[in-house]
Amino acid sequence: MSLPERSGPPDAGPAPVGELGDSTAESPRSPVRTTRRRPSWALPAIAVGVVVVAVLLAYLRSGSTDVVSQAVVTGILVGGVYGLVAMGLTLIFGVLDIVNFAHGAFLTVALYITVVMVNRFGVYPMLALVVAVPVMFLLGAAIQRFVLAGAIGKPLENQLLITLGLALLIDNLLLLFFGPNPQSVKLPGDTAVPIFGAVTTVSRLLAFGVALVLAALLYVLLRRTRLGTAIRAVAANDSGAQLVGIDTRRIYMTTFAIGTACAGAAGVLVAPLVTIEPTTGELFNIIAFVVVVLGGMGNVVGALVGGVLIGLTEQLGALLLPGQSPLLAIFLVFVLVLLFRPQGLFGRTS
Amino acid sequence: MRKNWIVGLALAAPLALAACGGSAPPGTPGAGGGGGGTAGSGQTIKIASLHPLSGSSAADGQQMDNGAKLAVEAINNAGGIASMGGAKLELLSADSKGAPETGQSEAQRLVQEGAVAIIGTYQSAVSQNVAAVAERNKVPFVIDVSSADAILSQGYQYTFRLQPSGTVLADQGAQYLSDVSKAAGKPAKKVAILHEQGPFGTAIKDTFTKKAQSLGMEVGPVASYDPAKVSDFTTQVTEVKASGADVLMVAGYYRDGVLVAKAVDTVKPTLNAVWGVANGAFDLPQFAAEAGKAGEGFFDANYHLNGKNPQTQALMKTYQDKYNDQIRTGAVLSYDAVRVIADSLNRAKSADPTTLRGAIAQTNLESLVAQKWPITFSSTGENQGAAPILMQVQGGKVVQTYPQDFAETMYRYPATTGQ
Amino acid sequence: MSAATQERSTEEAVLPRPAWGRHLIVLAVLTVLLIPLPLILPPATQAVAVRVLIFAIMAVGWNIMSGFGGMFSFGHAAYFGLGAYTSVWLLVNHGVSPWIGMVAGMVVAALFGVAVGFLALRYRLKGAYFALSTFAFAEMLRLLAINSDFVNRAVGYNVPLRREFSLAFMQFAPGAPEYFWMALGLTVVAIAVSILFLRSKLGRFTVAVRDDEEAAAAVGVPVMRTKILTIALSAAITSVAGAFYTQYYFFIDPEGAFGPSVSIQAILPAVIGGVGTIWGPAIGALVLGPLNDITATLLRNPPAALSFLQGRAGLDVIVYALLLILIVLLLPQGVYGAIRERVRRR
Repeated sequence: MSLPERSGPPDAGPAPVGELGDSTAESPRSPVRTTRRRPSWALPAIAVGVVVVAVLLAYLRSGSTDVVSQAVVTGILVGGVYGLVAMGLTLIFGVLDIVNFAHGAFLTVALYITVVMVNRFGVYPMLALVVAVPVMFLLGAAIQRFVLAGAIGKPLENQLLITLGLALLIDNLLLLFFGPNPQSVKLPGDTAVPIFGAVTTVSRLLAFGVALVLAALLYVLLRRTRLGTAIRAVAANDSGAQLVGIDTRRIYMTTFAIGTACAGAAGVLVAPLVTIEPTTGELFNIIAFVVVVLGGMGNVVGALVGGVLIGLTEQLGALLLPGQSPLLAIFLVFVLVLLFRPQGLFGRTS
Repeated sequence: MRKNWIVGLALAAPLALAACGGSAPPGTPGAGGGGGGTAGSGQTIKIASLHPLSGSSAADGQQMDNGAKLAVEAINNAGGIASMGGAKLELLSADSKGAPETGQSEAQRLVQEGAVAIIGTYQSAVSQNVAAVAERNKVPFVIDVSSADAILSQGYQYTFRLQPSGTVLADQGAQYLSDVSKAAGKPAKKVAILHEQGPFGTAIKDTFTKKAQSLGMEVGPVASYDPAKVSDFTTQVTEVKASGADVLMVAGYYRDGVLVAKAVDTVKPTLNAVWGVANGAFDLPQFAAEAGKAGEGFFDANYHLNGKNPQTQALMKTYQDKYNDQIRTGAVLSYDAVRVIADSLNRAKSADPTTLRGAIAQTNLESLVAQKWPITFSSTGENQGAAPILMQVQGGKVVQTYPQDFAETMYRYPATTGQ
Repeated sequence: MSAATQERSTEEAVLPRPAWGRHLIVLAVLTVLLIPLPLILPPATQAVAVRVLIFAIMAVGWNIMSGFGGMFSFGHAAYFGLGAYTSVWLLVNHGVSPWIGMVAGMVVAALFGVAVGFLALRYRLKGAYFALSTFAFAEMLRLLAINSDFVNRAVGYNVPLRREFSLAFMQFAPGAPEYFWMALGLTVVAIAVSILFLRSKLGRFTVAVRDDEEAAAAVGVPVMRTKILTIALSAAITSVAGAFYTQYYFFIDPEGAFGPSVSIQAILPAVIGGVGTIWGPAIGALVLGPLNDITATLLRNPPAALSFLQGRAGLDVIVYALLLILIVLLLPQGVYGAIRERVRRR
């Protein structure tokens, strides 16, 4: 498949939804003198089409609407949380160009905060958000300011290794303080809830709902506030932003803090759904990366949609390829996206 | 150029540092302390205890190491190794980190520090590596927990295993299902399987399927999952529900076991039983607590400490007092492993590893774990007395229910889920 | 282009003719000095030394593509694992000598590298996207290995123990110096190859492409071919480490062959020693190899002042991670890069 050669300046196209900045800043591909005229909704439509086909195939494979609708419902709900985790990650990448491997570890910290608050102080699990989010925000700010700031502008490897080191550090500090025994957090009144012919639990619905709310809040922050505009400006062109008087260092710190707070929120929401151990966050780490690439690095709405798509891939993949790990399906999607549309569903070609 | 000597210096420095310490992998015969000498009275005999003290299995690894420590203490307090002038045992604890490479290098280091035997290691991949080290250094290795059949099918002479092998667990698991369901008047007709995709789960699935089919049960659907990445089972359980199976067999670890219980509670398939085979969750008190009513009635055919044995009961109490935690079967196996070595030392009257190995092969020792008969080893090193027993979660507690000799109460079949 | 990269490229790419010769001489001298090492050092250290050498080979391989070539790979485990699995599969299923298996592994890894490189470059991925795609390919290999009976699924392979020791089958007495000499030989060849690579036309093209792809294309450098050949070479070298590793540790499974920690293992020494330099990977391996052991030893028997640390699990990883962060933060050019800086300033 070759990209058509055309003369003339590259076309920017309509602004895609949720994009942090103009995509000339960090383009996944090397510059190519071509354009492609295609409405911005075309690709997401194709993605939806693929999902529909997958659902049909799954139905043929399993022969039961119950099973397929269960897979779809679970996929969407699980995906919503993946999306929330990925939102923080994509924000960090969009603005700071940092591939943050410690994201999952931050989520784990929030899990343990929830454990302490619920099991020690008897707080209702969702209320732990009130404590966890600010704490994670401050933690993220501190880490960016004192550790990561030294790696800005340095080669990719350095940042990656620092965040990797951070991940190891945090995981093992948690192991040291809380011990290896698995812990759990119960949501009072957690019962089965029938929905669209399938079944799920209150805790999962709550997680999905709150994730949507948080995503909306983040979107509003980015689009409608001065801080959000400043963040988008830095994401688009940080020397330009400096020239107009934005304190980029402050923005880097804030953005990383917001991203970490997102991971923290996701941790609180997910707490009743998982067994809590120091390594629990790693589970979400890899999936978050796939979601971020799928949705478009730096694209917050894309992260949410991407999350849902990956959740669906995981559940439908389990039905379509029963002998294989659903992770294989996820990575296949990952590679295909990287090759054919690395800017993600919601990004733009340059 | 000046660069050259700088490079040379940079090269030499870490080497010097390394010379101060460090571990060694596959088979460096101890130049110094290596193969352990004979111990006269007053000297300690070193036994190595190699378990995952950090990483995702740290909870179990630490328990097992504690179990070994208690055994050494008990033996020393009872006078040490009588036939060797009351020589005391010393436990060298090490962390395998759950990684085969670390396990191997630690085993090597311990052998060099004078360990005459090794116990461990929990993960099959680690045990595999340590078995190779043991074989090449001719130091006996007693496996407390590791289910992979392959470890003992390579003709190694120096490795022994206490827990029942994966084949025995799965085979008996199917047999018990057949026995129990028939005795309850509702013979199992169709068994769905949910297993973790690694070698452990796959081996259990394979053997179980073969045996179940030979006993007249239909097997299917069979689904596998990645235990490290799975977060939800509602889809798989819905598949089971739609298939009309009356029993769900689950082979996996702790975290996924809890998730399965939650999914079963949510989806509510019509099953006579959820039947764990060597399941890492269903026979743990912690599972009963964490899953709550969702785990009620779950079965597990697994090796288990013998709650009816007074010695075991005493150990449970000692462990609770000392570590403020409920002892699990793995730790009891580690305790047994040390006992086996001590008993063999006593019979061998020597701490020479090769002689010791010969004595271990002749072991005939009562176990604190529920077994068919005392610990005896086959020519490949398998514990012939080892067998699983059937446990069930009843009223929030894990109780032994079958075979008769070990039953604390009667099993409840069908075990209506979520009651 | 930052000052650092500029300097890197003029240093290594436009090698005045004698410079590479000097590097080769240093290499020869070091080799001769290191040969008697296993006879002098205590046996415990031998194992660390071999581990250092394995890391070095992996890192030298990684450096060719990611340092000299500027294509950051986060999935070098793919090549390591292919080398390991190819050689062990041939050995276990067909009794083929691991030497031949090693060469076969190099071919397989190189082909895979060509395929991956072709796909990624054809679709013009760069930077983090390229890195993530390499990671994805390695992960897919891991998942495929776990799920396919062809390579024994997740069980992996054990190298069968032989009764007699033989050179043909790479099996010697436990702790024999032959293992060290073999590893040393392989490492020396790898470094020599990297020196000669830089001096060759392909190497100069690679560095030119790294520094300014458009300019290089403008003067007629065959960009795609250069990149792909570089990736193939990088893959082949790393695969040798995989094959030797399997023979030395007698065991390989999908996680140990293709897992993310293996990819990290290939990157770390090069970054710490100095990416894009000849000696960086080896020096980094020297720093890292004993590090884990030293922290573990220290924590097992801590000095009186730190006795509260005794027996705590997980603490050595914390120290290791802290050291890693500090080194990357304070010496971003790597140890060798920093030393070179110091020397030049005089």
